[in-house]
Amino acid sequence: MSCPAERRLRKELLELLTNPMPGIYIDEEKVAKNINEWIVTIEGAEKTIYEGETFQLQFSFNEKYPFDSPTVLFIGKIPVHSHIYSNGHICLSILTDDWTPALSVGAVCLSIRSMLSSATKKERPPDDMIYTRTCSKNPKKTKWFFHDDTV
Amino acid sequence: MKVTVKSWTGVALWKWIANDDNCGICRMAFEACCPDCSFAGDDCPLVWGHCSHVFHMHCICKWLNSQLNQQLCPMCRQTWRFNDR
Repeated sequence: MSCPAERRLRKELLELLTNPMPGIYIDEEKVAKNINEWIVTIEGAEKTIYEGETFQLQFSFNEKYPFDSPTVLFIGKIPVHSHIYSNGHICLSILTDDWTPALSVGAVCLSIRSMLSSATKKERPPDDMIYTRTCSKNPKKTKWFFHDDTV
Repeated sequence: MKVTVKSWTGVALWKWIANDDNCGICRMAFEACCPDCSFAGDDCPLVWGHCSHVFHMHCICKWLNSQLNQQLCPMCRQTWRFNDR
């Protein structure tokens, strides 16, 4: 029998494949190989500054999921956004302090897509240079300060 | 016609009365057990919070025990208090 984390991930996968969310696409082949590593493509929403762009998110889950949050970061082309560092790390409270086991891959994707959608200009976080030079490879090891609830 | 009942087998159906179909933590049906159990029903009961959200007892306890500072409902983030119905 697979572990509880895998069972929940399989349920989420099935749900996302049967009822796809707009602008959110799962790399099924990758997930089929390893249920603990997901690649999700996010499409910039229409009438936003990211319209026409696509980005890739990497989700990594450990055996404590959903009690422990997934590690989520952008890979490849990183969106230029005031809460997204150029190394792909995302400053979003639900990924660390505000995670709850009621959240899911779908909910995280939706939050990130909406975070992109509400941006009005493309700029990197003010501390991008220093953060990307000094941070851990794992964004969950960063002590994030959440100070801007508007974007 | 006279029928003699030689034997009979009773079949019953049970269901938790909850305002949702599945547990928001493990996503299993309430009538199924949490992922750590093998038997549903009284062995893997449901619990209600003051906020009206329902979870498998094992699921919510696992979550609350993993929280160091505050114990919040995973659904609404209100302080979790067990509702003894």
